Amino acid sequence: MILRIWTLASNTVREAIRSKLLYTLLGFAIALILLAIALSQLSYIDNDRILQNFGFASIRLFSVAIAIFVGVNLIHKEVDRRTVYTILSKPLSRSEFLLGKYFGLLITIWLQLGIMVAFFVGTSVVTGASLGLSDAAVIALLCVELALVVAIATLFSAFTTPMLASFFSVGIWIVGNLTRDLKLMGAKASDTSIEWVTTWLHRVLPDMASFDLTIEAAHGLPISASDLAIPMVYGVGYIVILLMISMAIFERRDFR
Amino acid sequence: MIKTTARAKQWLSLAISLIAIATTGAAHSRMDFMSNPEPAEIVVPPRRFARLMTLGFDATFADYYWMRAVQLSGGEENADTDATAGILETIVEINPWVDHPYRFAAVWLTSSPAIVERANRLLEIGIAHHPLEWRNRYHLGFNQFFYLDRPLLAADTLEGTIGLERTPRYVPRLIARLRSSQGGLAVASAFITQLIEETDDEFQKAELSKALDEIEIERRARFLDEAREEYWRRKGRDIERVTDLLTGPNPVLERLPRAQLFLDGFEWILHEETGVIVSSFYRSRYELHVTPSDRARQKRWGEMRKRQEGV
Repeated sequence: MILRIWTLASNTVREAIRSKLLYTLLGFAIALILLAIALSQLSYIDNDRILQNFGFASIRLFSVAIAIFVGVNLIHKEVDRRTVYTILSKPLSRSEFLLGKYFGLLITIWLQLGIMVAFFVGTSVVTGASLGLSDAAVIALLCVELALVVAIATLFSAFTTPMLASFFSVGIWIVGNLTRDLKLMGAKASDTSIEWVTTWLHRVLPDMASFDLTIEAAHGLPISASDLAIPMVYGVGYIVILLMISMAIFERRDFR
Repeated sequence: MIKTTARAKQWLSLAISLIAIATTGAAHSRMDFMSNPEPAEIVVPPRRFARLMTLGFDATFADYYWMRAVQLSGGEENADTDATAGILETIVEINPWVDHPYRFAAVWLTSSPAIVERANRLLEIGIAHHPLEWRNRYHLGFNQFFYLDRPLLAADTLEGTIGLERTPRYVPRLIARLRSSQGGLAVASAFITQLIEETDDEFQKAELSKALDEIEIERRARFLDEAREEYWRRKGRDIERVTDLLTGPNPVLERLPRAQLFLDGFEWILHEETGVIVSSFYRSRYELHVTPSDRARQKRWGEMRKRQEGV
Protein backbone atom coordinates (compact mmCIF):
# COMPACT_ATOMS: atom_id res chain seq x y z
CA MET A 1 0.00 0.00 0.00
CA ILE A 2 2.76 2.42 0.98
CA LEU A 3 4.64 1.56 -2.20
CA ARG A 4 1.56 2.27 -4.32
CA ILE A 5 1.02 5.61 -2.55
CA TRP A 6 4.71 6.46 -2.94
CA THR A 7 4.64 5.66 -6.68
CA LEU A 8 1.64 7.90 -7.17
CA ALA A 9 3.19 10.62 -5.00
CA SER A 10 6.42 10.64 -6.98
CA ASN A 11 4.44 10.85 -10.22
CA THR A 12 2.46 13.73 -8.75
CA VAL A 13 5.70 15.55 -7.90
CA ARG A 14 6.91 15.06 -11.49
CA GLU A 15 3.62 16.40 -12.79
CA ALA A 16 3.44 19.32 -10.34
CA ILE A 17 6.95 20.58 -11.02
CA ARG A 18 5.93 21.01 -14.65
CA SER A 19 3.25 23.50 -13.57
CA LYS A 20 3.93 27.00 -14.90
CA LEU A 21 1.81 28.44 -12.10
CA LEU A 22 4.18 27.01 -9.53
CA TYR A 23 7.20 28.69 -11.12
CA THR A 24 5.36 31.98 -11.56
CA LEU A 25 4.40 32.10 -7.89
CA LEU A 26 7.86 30.91 -6.85
CA GLY A 27 9.40 33.69 -8.95
CA PHE A 28 7.20 36.29 -7.32
CA ALA A 29 8.08 34.97 -3.86
CA ILE A 30 11.81 35.15 -4.54
CA ALA A 31 11.42 38.66 -6.00
CA LEU A 32 9.55 39.75 -2.86
CA ILE A 33 12.20 38.22 -0.58
CA LEU A 34 14.85 40.19 -2.45
CA LEU A 35 12.65 43.30 -2.36
CA ALA A 36 12.57 42.97 1.43
CA ILE A 37 16.21 44.14 1.45
CA ALA A 38 15.15 47.46 -0.09
CA LEU A 39 12.04 47.73 2.07
CA SER A 40 13.99 47.19 5.26
CA GLN A 41 16.16 50.20 4.39
CA LEU A 42 13.12 52.49 4.64
CA SER A 43 13.41 52.30 8.41
CA TYR A 44 16.38 53.88 10.20
CA ILE A 45 16.37 51.13 12.80
CA ASP A 46 15.51 47.42 13.17
CA ASN A 47 16.37 46.72 9.51
CA ASP A 48 17.21 43.09 10.22
CA ARG A 49 13.90 42.47 11.91
CA ILE A 50 11.95 44.11 9.08
CA LEU A 51 13.89 42.07 6.52
CA GLN A 52 13.04 38.93 8.45
CA ASN A 53 9.35 39.79 8.85
CA PHE A 54 8.91 40.59 5.15
CA GLY A 55 10.90 37.49 4.18
CA PHE A 56 8.78 35.19 6.31
CA ALA A 57 5.57 36.87 5.14
CA SER A 58 6.56 36.40 1.48
CA ILE A 59 7.44 32.77 2.04
CA ARG A 60 4.19 32.09 3.89
CA LEU A 61 1.93 33.95 1.50
CA PHE A 62 3.31 32.41 -1.69
CA SER A 63 3.69 28.92 -0.24
CA VAL A 64 0.02 28.96 0.74
CA ALA A 65 -0.91 30.34 -2.69
CA ILE A 66 1.03 27.58 -4.42
CA ALA A 67 -0.45 24.94 -2.11
CA ILE A 68 -3.98 26.07 -2.87
CA PHE A 69 -3.81 26.92 -6.57
CA VAL A 70 -1.69 23.95 -7.58
CA GLY A 71 -3.46 21.63 -5.13
CA VAL A 72 -7.01 22.24 -6.28
CA ASN A 73 -6.11 21.27 -9.86
CA LEU A 74 -4.45 17.94 -9.27
CA ILE A 75 -7.48 15.66 -9.00
CA HIS A 76 -9.52 17.74 -11.42
CA LYS A 77 -6.86 17.32 -14.12
CA GLU A 78 -6.93 13.54 -13.76
CA VAL A 79 -10.71 13.53 -14.05
CA ASP A 80 -10.73 16.03 -16.89
CA ARG A 81 -8.17 14.10 -18.93
CA ARG A 82 -9.92 10.84 -17.97
CA THR A 83 -6.60 9.43 -16.75
CA VAL A 84 -8.28 8.77 -13.41
CA TYR A 85 -10.09 5.81 -14.99
CA THR A 86 -6.83 4.27 -16.14
CA ILE A 87 -5.22 4.75 -12.74
CA LEU A 88 -8.19 3.47 -10.77
CA SER A 89 -8.51 0.41 -13.04
CA LYS A 90 -5.15 -0.69 -11.60
CA PRO A 91 -5.01 -2.41 -8.19
CA LEU A 92 -5.20 0.91 -6.41
CA SER A 93 -8.01 2.10 -4.20
CA ARG A 94 -9.50 5.57 -4.43
CA SER A 95 -8.18 6.38 -0.96
CA GLU A 96 -4.66 5.39 -2.00
CA PHE A 97 -5.03 7.55 -5.10
CA LEU A 98 -6.06 10.52 -2.96
CA LEU A 99 -3.26 9.97 -0.45
CA GLY A 100 -0.74 9.63 -3.26
CA LYS A 101 -1.90 12.92 -4.70
CA TYR A 102 -1.80 14.56 -1.27
CA PHE A 103 1.73 13.45 -0.43
CA GLY A 104 2.95 14.22 -3.93
CA LEU A 105 1.72 17.77 -3.68
CA LEU A 106 3.05 18.08 -0.15
CA ILE A 107 6.54 17.06 -1.25
CA THR A 108 6.32 19.58 -4.11
CA ILE A 109 5.26 22.35 -1.72
CA TRP A 110 8.03 21.51 0.73
CA LEU A 111 10.56 21.51 -2.13
CA GLN A 112 9.54 24.98 -3.23
CA LEU A 113 9.57 26.05 0.44
CA GLY A 114 13.17 24.82 0.59
CA ILE A 115 14.05 27.00 -2.41
CA MET A 116 12.42 30.05 -0.83
CA VAL A 117 14.14 29.42 2.49
CA ALA A 118 17.48 29.11 0.68
CA PHE A 119 16.91 32.56 -0.87
CA PHE A 120 15.82 33.93 2.50
CA VAL A 121 18.93 32.59 4.20
CA GLY A 122 21.01 33.97 1.32
CA THR A 123 19.59 37.48 1.69
CA SER A 124 20.01 37.31 5.47
CA VAL A 125 23.65 36.29 5.13
CA VAL A 126 24.34 38.98 2.51
CA THR A 127 22.75 41.71 4.64
CA GLY A 128 24.29 40.41 7.85
CA ALA A 129 20.92 39.71 9.50
CA SER A 130 21.20 37.13 12.24
CA LEU A 131 19.53 33.73 11.93
CA GLY A 132 18.89 31.31 14.74
CA LEU A 133 17.01 28.31 15.98
CA SER A 134 13.86 30.38 16.40
CA ASP A 135 13.88 30.95 12.61
CA ALA A 136 14.12 27.20 12.11
CA ALA A 137 11.10 26.82 14.42
CA VAL A 138 9.14 29.27 12.25
CA ILE A 139 9.93 27.19 9.14
CA ALA A 140 9.10 23.91 10.91
CA LEU A 141 5.64 25.15 11.84
CA LEU A 142 5.19 26.62 8.37
CA CYS A 143 5.77 23.11 7.01
CA VAL A 144 2.89 21.87 9.18
CA GLU A 145 0.67 24.79 8.15
CA LEU A 146 1.35 24.04 4.47
CA ALA A 147 0.57 20.36 5.01
CA LEU A 148 -2.75 21.43 6.51
CA VAL A 149 -3.48 23.85 3.64
CA VAL A 150 -2.75 21.08 1.12
CA ALA A 151 -5.15 18.83 3.05
CA ILE A 152 -7.84 21.51 2.86
CA ALA A 153 -7.26 21.95 -0.88
CA THR A 154 -7.35 18.17 -1.34
CA LEU A 155 -10.65 17.93 0.58
CA PHE A 156 -12.37 20.49 -1.61
CA SER A 157 -10.83 19.21 -4.83
CA ALA A 158 -12.23 15.76 -3.96
CA PHE A 159 -15.80 16.86 -4.67
CA THR A 160 -15.93 20.22 -6.43
CA THR A 161 -14.49 22.26 -9.30
CA PRO A 162 -11.04 23.93 -9.06
CA MET A 163 -12.63 27.38 -9.02
CA LEU A 164 -14.87 26.57 -6.07
CA ALA A 165 -12.18 24.52 -4.34
CA SER A 166 -9.72 27.43 -4.48
CA PHE A 167 -12.42 29.83 -3.31
CA PHE A 168 -13.30 27.61 -0.32
CA SER A 169 -9.65 26.86 0.53
CA VAL A 170 -8.66 30.54 0.50
CA GLY A 171 -11.72 31.32 2.62
CA ILE A 172 -10.92 28.65 5.18
CA TRP A 173 -7.30 29.80 5.36
CA ILE A 174 -8.30 33.44 5.89
CA VAL A 175 -10.95 32.65 8.50
CA GLY A 176 -8.54 30.19 10.11
CA ASN A 177 -6.15 33.09 10.62
CA LEU A 178 -8.86 35.16 12.27
CA THR A 179 -10.53 32.68 14.62
CA ARG A 180 -8.34 33.60 17.62
CA ASP A 181 -9.07 37.30 17.29
CA LEU A 182 -12.73 36.62 16.60
CA LYS A 183 -12.90 34.53 19.75
CA LEU A 184 -11.32 37.33 21.78
CA MET A 185 -13.75 39.84 20.29
CA GLY A 186 -16.67 37.49 20.94
CA ALA A 187 -15.62 37.14 24.57
CA LYS A 188 -15.96 40.90 24.94
CA ALA A 189 -19.36 41.02 23.22
CA SER A 190 -22.41 41.60 25.37
CA ASP A 191 -24.45 39.10 23.34
CA THR A 192 -23.69 35.54 24.53
CA SER A 193 -24.74 34.02 21.20
CA ILE A 194 -21.88 35.91 19.49
CA GLU A 195 -19.48 34.51 22.06
CA TRP A 196 -20.86 31.03 21.44
CA VAL A 197 -20.49 31.35 17.65
CA THR A 198 -16.93 32.73 17.80
CA THR A 199 -15.89 30.08 20.34
CA TRP A 200 -17.16 27.29 18.08
CA LEU A 201 -15.60 28.84 15.00
CA HIS A 202 -12.31 28.77 16.85
CA ARG A 203 -12.83 25.15 17.89
CA VAL A 204 -13.98 23.79 14.55
CA LEU A 205 -11.99 25.73 11.97
CA PRO A 206 -8.23 25.26 11.68
CA ASP A 207 -6.42 27.68 14.00
CA MET A 208 -3.85 28.89 11.46
CA ALA A 209 -2.45 31.52 13.85
CA SER A 210 -1.11 28.69 16.02
CA PHE A 211 1.46 27.89 13.31
CA ASP A 212 2.89 31.41 13.17
CA LEU A 213 5.93 32.09 15.36
CA THR A 214 7.20 35.00 13.26
CA ILE A 215 6.76 37.58 16.02
CA GLU A 216 8.48 35.37 18.58
CA ALA A 217 11.42 34.78 16.24
CA ALA A 218 11.74 38.40 15.14
CA HIS A 219 11.66 39.82 18.67
CA GLY A 220 13.79 37.14 20.27
CA LEU A 221 10.98 35.95 22.52
CA PRO A 222 11.47 32.53 24.11
CA ILE A 223 10.05 29.60 22.14
CA SER A 224 9.52 26.54 24.29
CA ALA A 225 9.38 22.95 23.09
CA SER A 226 5.63 22.93 23.72
CA ASP A 227 5.21 26.05 21.54
CA LEU A 228 6.49 23.88 18.74
CA ALA A 229 5.20 20.44 19.67
CA ILE A 230 1.56 21.26 20.51
CA PRO A 231 0.79 23.03 17.20
CA MET A 232 2.53 20.16 15.39
CA VAL A 233 0.31 17.58 17.10
CA TYR A 234 -2.73 19.77 16.48
CA GLY A 235 -1.81 20.22 12.80
CA VAL A 236 -1.14 16.52 12.18
CA GLY A 237 -4.38 15.59 13.94
CA TYR A 238 -6.35 18.07 11.84
CA ILE A 239 -4.70 16.79 8.64
CA VAL A 240 -5.68 13.20 9.49
CA ILE A 241 -9.30 14.26 10.07
CA LEU A 242 -9.40 16.19 6.75
CA LEU A 243 -7.84 13.33 4.82
CA MET A 244 -10.31 10.83 6.33
CA ILE A 245 -13.22 13.05 5.25
CA SER A 246 -11.63 13.55 1.81
CA MET A 247 -11.21 9.80 1.33
CA ALA A 248 -14.79 9.11 2.42
CA ILE A 249 -16.09 11.67 -0.09
CA PHE A 250 -13.76 10.53 -2.87
CA GLU A 251 -14.76 6.89 -2.39
CA ARG A 252 -18.38 7.83 -3.10
CA ARG A 253 -17.72 10.26 -5.92
CA ASP A 254 -19.29 9.55 -9.27
CA PHE A 255 -16.90 10.51 -12.10
CA ARG A 256 -19.46 10.30 -14.91
CA MET B 1 3.20 38.93 -51.58
CA ILE B 2 2.19 36.89 -48.50
CA LYS B 3 5.70 37.31 -47.06
CA THR B 4 5.53 41.10 -47.59
CA THR B 5 2.15 41.32 -45.87
CA ALA B 6 3.38 39.30 -42.91
CA ARG B 7 6.44 41.52 -42.58
CA ALA B 8 4.26 44.63 -42.81
CA LYS B 9 2.12 43.25 -40.00
CA GLN B 10 5.21 42.68 -37.88
CA TRP B 11 6.40 46.25 -38.48
CA LEU B 12 2.93 47.57 -37.72
CA SER B 13 2.81 45.61 -34.44
CA LEU B 14 6.24 46.90 -33.50
CA ALA B 15 5.25 50.48 -34.33
CA ILE B 16 2.04 50.24 -32.30
CA SER B 17 3.96 48.75 -29.39
CA LEU B 18 6.57 51.50 -29.50
CA ILE B 19 3.91 54.21 -29.71
CA ALA B 20 2.07 52.63 -26.78
CA ILE B 21 5.27 52.48 -24.69
CA ALA B 22 6.17 56.10 -25.55
CA THR B 23 2.65 57.36 -24.82
CA THR B 24 2.40 55.48 -21.53
CA GLY B 25 5.86 56.64 -20.45
CA ALA B 26 5.10 60.26 -21.38
CA ALA B 27 1.76 60.22 -19.57
CA HIS B 28 3.30 58.58 -16.51
CA SER B 29 6.14 61.07 -16.31
CA ARG B 30 3.61 63.93 -16.34
CA MET B 31 1.72 62.57 -13.38
CA ASP B 32 2.45 65.08 -10.63
CA PHE B 33 2.61 63.12 -7.44
CA MET B 34 5.66 64.82 -5.92
CA SER B 35 3.92 68.11 -5.11
CA ASN B 36 1.35 66.20 -3.10
CA PRO B 37 3.34 63.22 -1.88
CA GLU B 38 1.00 62.12 0.88
CA PRO B 39 -2.74 62.19 1.22
CA ALA B 40 -3.98 64.40 4.05
CA GLU B 41 -4.64 61.34 6.15
CA ILE B 42 -2.96 57.98 6.07
CA VAL B 43 -5.62 55.33 6.17
CA VAL B 44 -5.09 53.31 9.32
CA PRO B 45 -7.50 50.53 10.25
CA PRO B 46 -9.51 51.13 13.42
CA ARG B 47 -7.60 49.76 16.40
CA ARG B 48 -10.42 47.37 17.27
CA PHE B 49 -10.24 45.63 13.89
CA ALA B 50 -6.56 46.19 13.15
CA ARG B 51 -5.51 42.66 14.05
CA LEU B 52 -8.35 41.11 12.05
CA MET B 53 -7.35 43.05 8.97
CA THR B 54 -3.78 41.77 8.97
CA LEU B 55 -4.99 38.24 8.12
CA GLY B 56 -2.30 36.68 10.24
CA PHE B 57 0.53 38.83 8.90
CA ASP B 58 0.76 40.86 12.12
CA ALA B 59 4.50 41.46 12.11
CA THR B 60 4.57 42.51 8.46
CA PHE B 61 1.70 44.97 8.80
CA ALA B 62 3.23 46.40 11.98
CA ASP B 63 6.48 46.94 10.06
CA TYR B 64 4.61 48.55 7.17
CA TYR B 65 2.88 51.04 9.45
CA TRP B 66 6.14 51.64 11.30
CA MET B 67 7.76 52.71 8.03
CA ARG B 68 4.78 54.98 7.33
CA ALA B 69 5.18 56.55 10.78
CA VAL B 70 8.88 57.16 10.16
CA GLN B 71 8.13 58.77 6.81
CA LEU B 72 5.30 60.86 8.21
CA SER B 73 7.35 62.25 11.07
CA GLY B 74 10.64 62.50 9.23
CA GLY B 75 9.22 64.07 6.10
CA GLU B 76 7.93 67.32 7.56
CA GLU B 77 9.08 69.75 10.18
CA ASN B 78 5.61 70.19 11.58
CA ALA B 79 4.51 66.61 11.27
CA ASP B 80 0.93 65.71 12.11
CA THR B 81 1.46 64.23 15.56
CA ASP B 82 -2.17 63.17 15.81
CA ALA B 83 -1.78 61.00 12.69
CA THR B 84 1.58 59.69 13.93
CA ALA B 85 0.00 58.79 17.28
CA GLY B 86 -2.80 56.96 15.44
CA ILE B 87 -0.33 54.93 13.39
CA LEU B 88 1.80 54.09 16.42
CA GLU B 89 -1.28 52.98 18.37
CA THR B 90 -2.24 50.71 15.49
CA ILE B 91 1.28 49.26 15.32
CA VAL B 92 1.19 48.46 19.02
CA GLU B 93 -2.29 46.98 18.72
CA ILE B 94 -1.15 44.69 15.89
CA ASN B 95 2.19 43.74 17.43
CA PRO B 96 2.83 44.93 21.00
CA TRP B 97 6.24 43.22 20.97
CA VAL B 98 7.70 45.95 18.79
CA ASP B 99 10.55 47.76 20.42
CA HIS B 100 11.54 51.09 18.93
CA PRO B 101 8.06 52.54 18.19
CA TYR B 102 7.56 53.12 21.93
CA ARG B 103 10.57 55.41 22.16
CA PHE B 104 9.67 56.95 18.82
CA ALA B 105 6.31 57.89 20.36
CA ALA B 106 8.07 59.38 23.38
CA VAL B 107 10.31 61.53 21.22
CA TRP B 108 7.81 62.66 18.59
CA LEU B 109 4.48 62.89 20.40
CA THR B 110 5.09 66.04 22.41
CA SER B 111 2.96 68.69 20.74
CA SER B 112 0.22 68.97 23.38
CA PRO B 113 -0.71 67.51 26.78
CA ALA B 114 -3.24 65.18 25.14
CA ILE B 115 -0.64 63.88 22.69
CA VAL B 116 1.90 63.39 25.48
CA GLU B 117 -0.73 61.42 27.40
CA ARG B 118 -1.19 59.20 24.32
CA ALA B 119 2.59 58.71 24.12
CA ASN B 120 2.59 57.80 27.81
CA ARG B 121 -0.14 55.20 27.28
CA LEU B 122 1.98 53.66 24.53
CA LEU B 123 5.02 53.68 26.81
CA GLU B 124 3.00 51.90 29.50
CA ILE B 125 2.17 49.15 26.97
CA GLY B 126 5.87 49.08 26.09
CA ILE B 127 6.80 48.63 29.76
CA ALA B 128 4.27 45.81 30.10
CA HIS B 129 5.79 43.96 27.12
CA HIS B 130 9.44 44.82 27.78
CA PRO B 131 9.67 45.00 31.58
CA LEU B 132 13.48 44.74 31.55
CA GLU B 133 13.96 47.65 29.13
CA TRP B 134 14.95 50.75 31.14
CA ARG B 135 14.45 53.23 28.30
CA ASN B 136 10.63 52.98 28.14
CA ARG B 137 10.38 53.71 31.86
CA TYR B 138 12.90 56.51 31.53
CA HIS B 139 10.99 58.18 28.68
CA LEU B 140 7.71 57.82 30.57
CA GLY B 141 9.24 59.39 33.68
CA PHE B 142 10.76 62.16 31.61
CA ASN B 143 7.41 62.92 29.95
CA GLN B 144 5.65 62.97 33.31
CA PHE B 145 8.13 65.45 34.70
CA PHE B 146 9.15 67.55 31.72
CA TYR B 147 5.86 67.88 29.82
CA LEU B 148 3.20 67.19 32.44
CA ASP B 149 4.98 68.67 35.48
CA ARG B 150 4.33 65.69 37.74
CA PRO B 151 7.73 65.19 39.41
CA LEU B 152 6.63 62.76 42.10
CA LEU B 153 4.87 60.52 39.59
CA ALA B 154 8.00 60.74 37.41
CA ALA B 155 10.14 59.73 40.39
CA ASP B 156 7.89 56.70 40.99
CA THR B 157 8.20 55.71 37.33
CA LEU B 158 11.96 56.21 37.23
CA GLU B 159 12.43 54.10 40.35
CA GLY B 160 11.44 51.15 38.16
CA THR B 161 14.65 51.59 36.14
CA ILE B 162 16.92 51.01 39.14
CA GLY B 163 18.59 47.65 38.89
CA LEU B 164 17.76 47.21 35.22
CA GLU B 165 20.65 46.53 32.88
CA ARG B 166 22.22 49.63 31.28
CA THR B 167 20.31 52.12 33.42
CA PRO B 168 22.58 55.20 33.62
CA ARG B 169 24.25 55.81 36.97
CA TYR B 170 22.78 59.30 37.27
CA VAL B 171 19.17 58.09 37.37
CA PRO B 172 19.01 57.57 41.20
CA ARG B 173 20.29 61.12 41.74
CA LEU B 174 17.71 62.39 39.25
CA ILE B 175 14.98 60.60 41.20
CA ALA B 176 16.22 62.19 44.42
CA ARG B 177 16.08 65.62 42.80
CA LEU B 178 12.56 64.93 41.56
CA ARG B 179 11.51 63.93 45.06
CA SER B 180 13.16 67.01 46.58
CA SER B 181 11.46 69.33 44.08
CA GLN B 182 8.26 69.31 46.08
CA GLY B 183 9.92 69.88 49.42
CA GLY B 184 10.70 66.25 50.03
CA LEU B 185 14.36 66.55 51.02
CA ALA B 186 13.88 63.97 53.75
CA VAL B 187 12.34 61.56 51.21
CA ALA B 188 15.17 62.23 48.76
CA SER B 189 17.73 61.66 51.49
CA ALA B 190 16.08 58.46 52.68
CA PHE B 191 15.89 57.22 49.08
CA ILE B 192 19.59 57.81 48.48
CA THR B 193 20.55 56.29 51.83
CA GLN B 194 18.59 53.16 50.99
CA LEU B 195 20.31 52.91 47.61
CA ILE B 196 23.72 53.26 49.25
CA GLU B 197 22.85 50.38 51.56
CA GLU B 198 21.63 48.19 48.70
CA THR B 199 24.43 48.68 46.18
CA ASP B 200 27.69 46.73 46.13
CA ASP B 201 29.17 48.94 43.44
CA GLU B 202 31.76 51.16 45.12
CA PHE B 203 31.67 53.74 42.33
CA GLN B 204 27.90 53.94 42.58
CA LYS B 205 28.19 54.25 46.37
CA ALA B 206 30.57 57.20 46.00
CA GLU B 207 28.27 58.87 43.46
CA LEU B 208 25.28 58.45 45.75
CA SER B 209 27.21 59.73 48.75
CA LYS B 210 27.96 62.87 46.76
CA ALA B 211 24.22 63.26 46.14
CA LEU B 212 23.60 62.83 49.86
CA ASP B 213 26.11 65.61 50.60
CA GLU B 214 24.36 67.81 48.07
CA ILE B 215 21.00 67.18 49.75
CA GLU B 216 22.48 68.13 53.12
CA ILE B 217 23.87 71.37 51.67
CA GLU B 218 20.44 72.05 50.14
CA ARG B 219 18.81 71.52 53.51
CA ARG B 220 21.22 74.11 54.99
CA ALA B 221 20.54 76.50 52.09
CA ARG B 222 16.81 76.23 52.77
CA PHE B 223 17.52 77.01 56.44
CA LEU B 224 19.39 80.11 55.27
CA ASP B 225 16.42 81.04 53.05
CA GLU B 226 14.25 81.10 56.16
CA ALA B 227 16.84 83.20 57.99
CA ARG B 228 16.87 85.58 55.05
CA GLU B 229 13.09 86.01 55.31
CA GLU B 230 13.48 86.72 59.03
CA TYR B 231 16.14 89.31 58.22
CA TRP B 232 13.68 90.98 55.83
CA ARG B 233 11.02 91.06 58.49
CA ARG B 234 13.35 92.56 61.09
CA LYS B 235 15.24 95.08 58.94
CA GLY B 236 12.70 95.77 56.23
CA ARG B 237 15.27 95.10 53.52
CA ASP B 238 17.08 92.17 51.88
CA ILE B 239 20.63 91.05 52.66
CA GLU B 240 23.46 92.29 50.44
CA ARG B 241 25.65 89.35 51.33
CA VAL B 242 25.00 86.17 53.30
CA THR B 243 27.19 87.29 56.21
CA ASP B 244 24.64 90.11 56.83
CA LEU B 245 22.64 87.44 58.66
CA LEU B 246 25.34 87.49 61.39
CA THR B 247 25.81 91.23 61.70
CA GLY B 248 23.95 94.11 63.37
CA PRO B 249 22.60 94.65 66.89
CA ASN B 250 20.08 91.84 66.63
CA PRO B 251 21.64 89.25 64.29
CA VAL B 252 19.37 86.59 62.80
CA LEU B 253 22.02 83.89 63.15
CA GLU B 254 24.97 83.45 65.45
CA ARG B 255 26.99 81.55 62.90
CA LEU B 256 26.62 80.13 59.38
CA PRO B 257 26.60 76.40 58.71
CA ARG B 258 29.47 74.97 56.66
CA ALA B 259 29.08 75.51 52.91
CA GLN B 260 30.88 72.25 52.17
CA LEU B 261 30.68 69.26 54.45
CA PHE B 262 34.32 68.15 54.35
CA LEU B 263 36.39 70.81 52.58
CA ASP B 264 37.39 74.21 53.90
CA GLY B 265 37.55 77.40 51.86
CA PHE B 266 33.97 77.47 50.63
CA GLU B 267 31.31 79.94 51.70
CA TRP B 268 27.71 80.92 51.24
CA ILE B 269 27.19 83.48 48.48
CA LEU B 270 24.32 85.13 46.62
CA HIS B 271 24.10 83.75 43.09
CA GLU B 272 25.14 86.45 40.64
CA GLU B 273 22.16 85.92 38.32
CA THR B 274 19.32 84.62 40.46
CA GLY B 275 20.27 86.16 43.81
CA VAL B 276 19.50 82.97 45.71
CA ILE B 277 21.78 81.70 48.48
CA VAL B 278 24.16 79.03 47.16
CA SER B 279 27.28 77.28 48.34
CA SER B 280 30.37 78.51 46.49
CA PHE B 281 31.25 74.80 46.09
CA TYR B 282 28.15 73.89 44.08
CA ARG B 283 27.17 77.39 42.82
CA SER B 284 23.62 76.17 42.28
CA ARG B 285 20.75 74.84 44.33
CA TYR B 286 19.69 71.19 44.51
CA GLU B 287 16.77 71.35 42.14
CA LEU B 288 15.74 70.34 38.67
CA HIS B 289 17.01 72.70 36.04
CA VAL B 290 14.22 73.73 33.73
CA THR B 291 14.67 76.58 31.26
CA PRO B 292 12.28 79.55 31.60
CA SER B 293 10.59 78.69 28.29
CA ASP B 294 10.02 75.09 29.40
CA ARG B 295 8.75 76.28 32.74
CA ALA B 296 6.33 78.62 30.92
CA ARG B 297 5.13 75.75 28.74
CA GLN B 298 4.61 73.52 31.76
CA LYS B 299 2.50 76.26 33.33
CA ARG B 300 0.51 76.84 30.13
CA TRP B 301 -0.17 73.12 29.65
CA GLY B 302 -1.06 72.71 33.30
CA GLU B 303 -3.70 75.43 32.98
CA MET B 304 -4.94 73.83 29.77
CA ARG B 305 -5.30 70.47 31.52
CA LYS B 306 -7.15 72.04 34.44
CA ARG B 307 -9.56 73.72 32.04
CA GLN B 308 -10.18 70.44 30.19
CA GLU B 309 -10.71 68.55 33.44
CA GLY B 310 -13.06 71.30 34.57
CA VAL B 311 -15.09 70.92 31.38
